[in-house]
Amino acid sequence: MSKVKPSPLPPDTVIGGYRIVRKVAAGGFGLVYLAVDPDGQQVAVKEYLPSSLAARAPGELLPQVLPEKLALYRLGLKSFFEEGRSLAQISHPSVVSVLNFFRENETVYMVMNYLEGAALQDFIVTARELKQSKVFRESTIRSLFDEVLRGLRIVHQHKMLHLDIKPANVFITDDNKAVLIDFGAAREVLSKEGNFVRPMYTPGFAAPEMYRRDASMGPWTDIYAIGACMYACMQGYPPSEAPQRQDKDRIAIALARLRGVYSDNLIEVVEWCMALDPLSRPQSVFALQKELSREGERRYTKLTVAEKVRMQFDNIVSDKQKPSAPTAPAGKPR
Amino acid sequence: MKFSVFQVSRQGGRQINEDRMGYCYTNGSGLFLLADGMGGHPEGEVAAQLALQTVAAMYQKEAKPELPDIRGFFSTAVMAAHRRILRYAIDRGLSDTPRTTFVAAVVQGNVAHWVHCGDSRLYFVRDGELLARTRDHSYLEQQHGDPSVTIPAMAEANRNVLFTCLGSPAKPVFDIAGPVPLQQGDKMLLCSDGLWGSLDDTDIVFHLGQKPVSVATPELVELALAKAGAGSDNVTVVAMEWETPNAFEETRGNVSTHQMDDEVFASTVQAGLGEADDGDLDDAAIERSIAEINAAIRRTASRKY
Repeated sequence: MSKVKPSPLPPDTVIGGYRIVRKVAAGGFGLVYLAVDPDGQQVAVKEYLPSSLAARAPGELLPQVLPEKLALYRLGLKSFFEEGRSLAQISHPSVVSVLNFFRENETVYMVMNYLEGAALQDFIVTARELKQSKVFRESTIRSLFDEVLRGLRIVHQHKMLHLDIKPANVFITDDNKAVLIDFGAAREVLSKEGNFVRPMYTPGFAAPEMYRRDASMGPWTDIYAIGACMYACMQGYPPSEAPQRQDKDRIAIALARLRGVYSDNLIEVVEWCMALDPLSRPQSVFALQKELSREGERRYTKLTVAEKVRMQFDNIVSDKQKPSAPTAPAGKPR
Repeated sequence: MKFSVFQVSRQGGRQINEDRMGYCYTNGSGLFLLADGMGGHPEGEVAAQLALQTVAAMYQKEAKPELPDIRGFFSTAVMAAHRRILRYAIDRGLSDTPRTTFVAAVVQGNVAHWVHCGDSRLYFVRDGELLARTRDHSYLEQQHGDPSVTIPAMAEANRNVLFTCLGSPAKPVFDIAGPVPLQQGDKMLLCSDGLWGSLDDTDIVFHLGQKPVSVATPELVELALAKAGAGSDNVTVVAMEWETPNAFEETRGNVSTHQMDDEVFASTVQAGLGEADDGDLDDAAIERSIAEINAAIRRTASRKY
């Protein structure tokens, strides 16, 4: 098995009428290039070339697939087509759009609109370096997720789930538009339950039901991930993994610490989205949108001194790896 | 068609039971299945389950009420099961594929056929004598009686090592046997290596020959577990006894399909891990997918939100 990554197509290679400018990303599935179409328009071209199954020598066009890997290579194509099929049905400013799909060089290519900007993930990392009480401003979070939810609502309307929403898959363009990207995990599931294989999950953003084989997924599964993304925008770090939360839920404590920094309503929305029980979450994007866009004065309930002390205490105890001492109900100082 | 059947799976000293078993039948045909998910690779129990589901689903589709071509069915079903496991590994992004052994038998029209891949076995017993047994796809078993077969140095250390199974990146090797005409009282026993690894063939044949399958099967399993002790492998057995209708007094746990309608299909194989898939993509399927996607792109582009 070669550990060498397949070489990208050299600049100025023309495939399917698109001229390659440069490689912009590489993942397990293959490579993404910036390219220009015959009209000079910039596009992103995603090339199916799984590094574990195929190799390509520098300067070569055709990938080399080992004979014993050929069946797996062909099967992997199905997932690639799945992504194409999902995206082809959707045209929305908040969802990356696919423009063309073609076969060349014994592999397949997906042409998408080229986005200039950076992933939400990068913005979070930059913002948290500033070490301020707020990672993002509340108004930023609200308008950002308003856009993301508009896109997600369309995705769900097409009976699909994204199933891998995370800050790395929310792209912020240079003209300040939020766009959902990477539908590699997306499956058309709402219409044919039980007839699908569970995709990989991203710890922290994957809902608890994604870890179980028997649980049913739905819009609430993506909504958990949305809540986790909002959490990351407030905290600067991803939330703890869902299975860990079953034992000791640090999320409630972490969110309580943000009281007074973010409005009660925003904190409650995140708690609602991230409920461990799928039925306790917003059951549709619409329900979440309604709550998130609720007008009215924001209420901020600061922590009481007693609560702060107790949190401190809780921290010390957990740092020493001891079971945490029982605390009095929040908001009722002794 | 009339037969009695008994199946049991017992967890030995292992963390999980990766064995799966089952049977299904129509009013003219019966299918018996057993798979033993392999350790050392991820999710062996999933591979075993997928193998059973895939083959049972194809059987349900094709046995109307009899399979038109049993050998053809075995060949396509085993390969479909293999590809189904590979696809599972791909979809999950597993770095290694789940693997399983597989053995299955079909009885219909008074004859038996069977297929196997790996070291799950089938014993065919008539009048207390071993009439036939599958030969494992291990270096040890394949060399047996044929000194010209050379064992690779690596395998010499553990000659029980298998050279084929379902779910490995290499194409599986499997053997199909039959037709073997069935007589009243003939017994077929399908088992995982937990049984034959602990008991001798003579023990298995003796017990099976003496008692009805509903008695012999649980006894054999208990015997194997007891003999192997605390570290026992999982032991799984499906055994059936062929009965000529009304020729003999009935044994327990029997199945008579005479009263069944043509449409009826009975199965103990649980579904749940996704349906059997259409399998590999060929060139035509790739072209079709691309055409479909482009048609969808054009449709979407012409639509305004």
